[in-house]
Amino acid sequence: MSPRLRPLCLIAVSALGLPALFAADSAADTVRFNRDIRPIMSDTCFHCHGFDAKSRKGDLRLDLREFALKAGKSGAIAIVPGKPEESEIIKRLFTKDEDDLMPAKESHKTLTPEQKELFRRWVKQGAVYEAHWAYTPLAPVTVPPMPAGGRNPIDAFIGAKLAEKKITPSAEAPKEKLLRRLSLDLTGLPPTPEELAAFLADQSPNAYEKQVDRLLASPHYGERMAVWWLDIARFADTVGFHGDQNQRIFPYRDYVINAFNANKPFDAFTREQLAGDLLPNATEEQKVASGYNRLNMMTREGGAQPKEYLAKYGAERVRSVSAAWLGSTFGCAECHDHKFDPIKAADFYTLQAFFADVKQWGVYADYSYTPEPELRGVNNDSPFPPEIKTTSPYLKKQDARARQEITAFAQAKSDPAKVTAWIAALQAFTQKNPDGWLKPAGNFELHKAAMAATPTKKNAKAAPNPTAGTTVETSQQPLVAGQPVVLKKALAKGEDLVVALKPGALRVAAVRLSLPEAKAGTRSSLTVGFAVRNAAGKERKLVAGFADAATKDLKHAGGAEILGLGNTWALTVPATGTAAAVWLLDTPVDLAEGDTLLVAIDGAGTQPIQVSVTPFGGYDPLTVGAPPLTPADQAVAYLCSVQPARPDFEQVKVMAAKLREYRRGVAWSLVTEARAPITVRILPRGNFLDTTGPVVLPATPSFLPGYRQSTEQQRLTRLDLANWLTSKENPITARTFTNRLWQIFHGSGLSAVLDDLGSQGEPPSHPELLDWLSGEFRDQHWDVKHLVRLMVTSRTYRQSSSLRPELKDLDPANRLLASQNPRRLDAEFVRDNALAIAGLLNAADIGGPSVKPYQPDGYYEPLQFPNRNYLASKDNEQWRRGLYMHWQRMFLHPMLVNFDAPARDECVALRSASNTPQQALTLLNDPTFVEAARVLATRLLAKPMTEDRLNAAFLLAVGRQVKASERTALEKLIADQKAYYTANPAEATKLLKVGLTPPPTDDPATLAAWTQACRVLLNSHEVITRY
Amino acid sequence: MHPYDPIAHTLSINRRSFLTKSAYGLGGAAFAMLAAKGFAATDGPASANFSKGVLKAPHFPVKAKRVIYLCMAGGPSHLETFDWKPALKKLDGQAFPESFTKGQQLAQLQGAVLKARGSFIDYKKYGKAGIEISDLFPHIGTQADDLCVIRSMQTEQINHDTAHAFMNTGSIIKGRPSMGSWLLYGLGSETENLPGYIVLTSAGKTGLQPISSRQWSSGALPSKYQGILFQSKGDAVHYIGNPQGVCQSTQRQVVDEIRRLNGTLAEETVDPEIATRIAQYELAFKMQTSVPDLLDFKNESPKTLENYGIKEVGDGSFASNCLMARRLAERGVRMIQLYHRAWDHHGGIEDGMRSAAKDVDKATAALIADLKQRGMLEDTLLLWGGEFGRTPMGQGSGRDHHILGFSVFLAGGGVKAGTVYGNTDELGYRSVENVVNVHDLHATMLALMGIEHTRLTVKLQGLDIRLTGIAGKQVKGIMA
Repeated sequence: MSPRLRPLCLIAVSALGLPALFAADSAADTVRFNRDIRPIMSDTCFHCHGFDAKSRKGDLRLDLREFALKAGKSGAIAIVPGKPEESEIIKRLFTKDEDDLMPAKESHKTLTPEQKELFRRWVKQGAVYEAHWAYTPLAPVTVPPMPAGGRNPIDAFIGAKLAEKKITPSAEAPKEKLLRRLSLDLTGLPPTPEELAAFLADQSPNAYEKQVDRLLASPHYGERMAVWWLDIARFADTVGFHGDQNQRIFPYRDYVINAFNANKPFDAFTREQLAGDLLPNATEEQKVASGYNRLNMMTREGGAQPKEYLAKYGAERVRSVSAAWLGSTFGCAECHDHKFDPIKAADFYTLQAFFADVKQWGVYADYSYTPEPELRGVNNDSPFPPEIKTTSPYLKKQDARARQEITAFAQAKSDPAKVTAWIAALQAFTQKNPDGWLKPAGNFELHKAAMAATPTKKNAKAAPNPTAGTTVETSQQPLVAGQPVVLKKALAKGEDLVVALKPGALRVAAVRLSLPEAKAGTRSSLTVGFAVRNAAGKERKLVAGFADAATKDLKHAGGAEILGLGNTWALTVPATGTAAAVWLLDTPVDLAEGDTLLVAIDGAGTQPIQVSVTPFGGYDPLTVGAPPLTPADQAVAYLCSVQPARPDFEQVKVMAAKLREYRRGVAWSLVTEARAPITVRILPRGNFLDTTGPVVLPATPSFLPGYRQSTEQQRLTRLDLANWLTSKENPITARTFTNRLWQIFHGSGLSAVLDDLGSQGEPPSHPELLDWLSGEFRDQHWDVKHLVRLMVTSRTYRQSSSLRPELKDLDPANRLLASQNPRRLDAEFVRDNALAIAGLLNAADIGGPSVKPYQPDGYYEPLQFPNRNYLASKDNEQWRRGLYMHWQRMFLHPMLVNFDAPARDECVALRSASNTPQQALTLLNDPTFVEAARVLATRLLAKPMTEDRLNAAFLLAVGRQVKASERTALEKLIADQKAYYTANPAEATKLLKVGLTPPPTDDPATLAAWTQACRVLLNSHEVITRY
Repeated sequence: MHPYDPIAHTLSINRRSFLTKSAYGLGGAAFAMLAAKGFAATDGPASANFSKGVLKAPHFPVKAKRVIYLCMAGGPSHLETFDWKPALKKLDGQAFPESFTKGQQLAQLQGAVLKARGSFIDYKKYGKAGIEISDLFPHIGTQADDLCVIRSMQTEQINHDTAHAFMNTGSIIKGRPSMGSWLLYGLGSETENLPGYIVLTSAGKTGLQPISSRQWSSGALPSKYQGILFQSKGDAVHYIGNPQGVCQSTQRQVVDEIRRLNGTLAEETVDPEIATRIAQYELAFKMQTSVPDLLDFKNESPKTLENYGIKEVGDGSFASNCLMARRLAERGVRMIQLYHRAWDHHGGIEDGMRSAAKDVDKATAALIADLKQRGMLEDTLLLWGGEFGRTPMGQGSGRDHHILGFSVFLAGGGVKAGTVYGNTDELGYRSVENVVNVHDLHATMLALMGIEHTRLTVKLQGLDIRLTGIAGKQVKGIMA
């Protein structure tokens, strides 16, 4: 940043503190420093008369009473308690002399007469200071008397303030509204008509509480809460800087979902994310949780300076951690002491020092100008280490399902009698080769390879052609059955080894290469090609299908491991077991007696190579060969080897390709790995090139209770930080969390500025309630569901959400909560809700990798390194919940952007809830919503004519009956549209084709007309609003 | 990131009687109104013609009403565009003096032996003032009398991503609004039929670098202030086209019914957002209706297309985007930003720059001339330049990133036309005379739009943030 400092120019309006209704509003009231004075001082005085010594003017400090009571440079005393007339600040506030007037003219700030009067009264009453509310210890709070109709202590606090203003709370919302509100708030999904009917029918006194329990136990509760926490954790699928490459970390999202569902105490949740790797005997889950520390943006840009980016990552981490757990804005302290809060630059860097052991690279590549030997070979397709290999329950489940589907398909498509006959015919083979692999006799020779074809794909080597090239003289040697090929010397450049095998009459479905005696640790890279030669000497190339090896070099595309092998098998020989690779033949080859199978191998060394063949095919190279025993396995092998119908085999290939995407349930995830801590210095003005600042060790922020610091002997760790954050002494973590949770259920935090509980934020509207809830949270073992239950079972929550016009002057923002607040759904839930209403939502699956809903073509065009091609999900992953959407930081899905989802470059505690034309365009025209309307229409039309379809539509969409006026209007619309689409059938067909779901074919005009009606409904404000 | 300060929000409502006429208070538009209050308090009577944003009266005389920013993404070499350095040419191939480079930040030249690279191209003098412009830009040269070339730019970020962020938002911290979003927030848009801030991209043959939508993000401001990327294929604006099988009149019926449904809701539910929602659907439909007209280039003469060097209208080229920029400007769009990704020449700079210059030279000149001929140049502020410059030291057959000195030019509203401002040292390494940093450029551009840069702010995490961070000064020397 530029060294020139100018006074921050602040909007005058922001100088005004809490709503008048919370202020001392009659001359008799006691003026309270925190409530009445501090917000004004913070905004108008502290810049020049506050914490930051460098910008202090006139040697006057107003933030601390002892300084404010001393004579300043001019000799005048700023504050003389009890004597406003002798106090310089009062003179300066009221003076008519423009030069003396405070706030100074250049600040563009003015105080209202009421505010000036507050100051005068405060001084008159003794100028009592209070410690900043957010930093004071959580003391026990006395719950006010319970008002009539109150349900829990929340209502006592809210009721007391309402009573003070002589306001009665609103009536309870009607049951149907209540259930819709609760369902959307706790799960992000609307109630089904069945759930609604059950609730309406339940007349028991605790009917509502039963619904709360049901929804808190729903796995969708964790999904809903995760959306909020993922904003705070800045979770994304891409690294954010420059090439915005993919990073692998979806298991962290699963962790968050599971944590909320399992009601993991917030202290454990905190520990595991900040220091899961440091816990004794850290579990896989705890390591995955530590991925939190890796969610900062990263770069791989050539020419970036590692040191500069390490500084950027370190600074971001301080901003995000302090925002997430402390509700504080440390950002300014990167360059200088905070102007409005007691956050010093030293606090910034001592907090950063906790993370000095997080293993990471400033630039995730090994460029010649910034070498990083540990990253050798890394390219733009590579992942971002360190990562761990973990298991994804979602992928495991899908893997099992997909295998089952292939088996079922094979069984359905093959004649059991023929399968049995085939197995029987191979009995002699199986007896001789119990493992299913035949090691045939033959010979081998060397070829001078013909000109190698140009590889078509990156990382792909052209397959050597056994039928081309010239035999190197006298190189031919016999191969004994059961023995491997052994070369005396490694192949020279341009040479291929060609193995000619005579397996006899056999249908060969797969070929295996193994390295039976290779020394552990040796490198090998073999590229193969196949052909067949008949007895007459005629040769034909064979097409290899999918190939794979249990041991191989991992290659990546777009950050994901490339599946299978292609032509080349590169590996480091493992210490145990035999390394082997298997190539399925796309079309198994029927060898007659005397036919020769030719296998050309490029890259062979002197280690023995065993080539084997099997008649037992399949779709998985790692399991084929073994003679199938069960009827199911036999059917699969039969369908793939004998291929009684080629289209069926093609279908299996498609199914197998999808199956492989589930990666046998294996997922990689970014984690924190501890290393020796790097040196952290205070960087003067945040400049990473300036190494003159002092080295600092980890310490908790100096202005907060329970201060802990490292000593020469003992350096504090991330675990110490996590323990301090959730310690009894630290009050601000509980306040921060509780306040944000309140926002979820009431539309505004008790302190409305969720990301800043400091003095530039807002003192809470109900400080005692916030403290009581925070204390309850901390003392009840950080039980999140307990806190949620308290909030949603209160009368305050259950009130009607129709705002109160008669209170618009007294309480325009409804901070007294004389009613609920309506709230537009968050972006993800706008999507989930529409899909759920349509019956299209794939809600059964929880967790798993990110998915790709329809997205406008070419949206990723400006992305490079590597170029990106967005392929929308083709199966029912298309309709998974919004929180699983691929989160591309540099080009977030436009639907998410339009509904105010953040790119998650850094911690975001509060989304805006805007109301824009882009939102209208999205709901009107995004294929997701058009398809949802059509599927909803299909769902309605599937109901018998006798049923009230429009009413069913409203029950699904907004959980209520259709009104007469709505019915009239929509019936007319449907009739008009039906006439239009009857006259324009091609248009109807086009409309019904939007989306992946196949449309029913009968009566397109009616369906199109209803689709239009459903578009209207899904676009209505009521649908996207939680009332 | 919160869009507004609810407390201030609340208070502003109390003070604004017109709001109390509505059922309860405010809808989404309230944000603008609230902040407007802040300005109104110190700015005297509002001037209705000035703005539909939060600023009700200009702080300075308004010279420009809109900005067209031609961003040469990748960082063009100043040494082959606008900054002729004979001394560097003389030193070509020899060691670059260490006195210049010691202790300075380098990108891909970290640790390398530094050698001078002279310009591969000659310069000519153009216009009344004889402005030196390289032979890569003969067409831009013809507009020299309208240009104000700044040869003394400096930025703080040496890598593309962060340098773009700095150039657009004045900060590398995320969540800061981009210049276009600030303008929209402060001044509103002059059109309701189109988004007020539109971005177009094109790409050259070499020297491509990625660009992030973060560069036109509204950051902490509500999403209505975001830049909207016009696509080169498919719908120009996301979701602007009706679904297949829905014509404009059937879409209208749908929109009407949505309004009716929302109206019914408003009758029985007190929620000011409903009224706002109804208004947004009308706006959306207007946009849907006006975009086809925008994209219909039929009334552009063949001569115009020829002037811009357009091979095919709407082909996604920089030339086509320039013509689109003029059409958007005519329609009242506040900020139009064109990115041409073609200037990152670490190697092959000669071919690369020739090709990139060919992409932009003719069209840039045509745009300036076209605006002028239509009387629009006088209230359009045009900025041409990259996110940084390039080293006077060679890097193989190219040049590395460079932040201590580079060139941009301005044209149009309020700009001192036909002039050169500032200078780098004799080797083009460092800006030494009348140094203009990015904050200064922003402060000046805002001033030409009538805005004192310290007085267009919004609250974010307890801070009043602004485009110019904590710095920025108007550069009087480039203001007419």
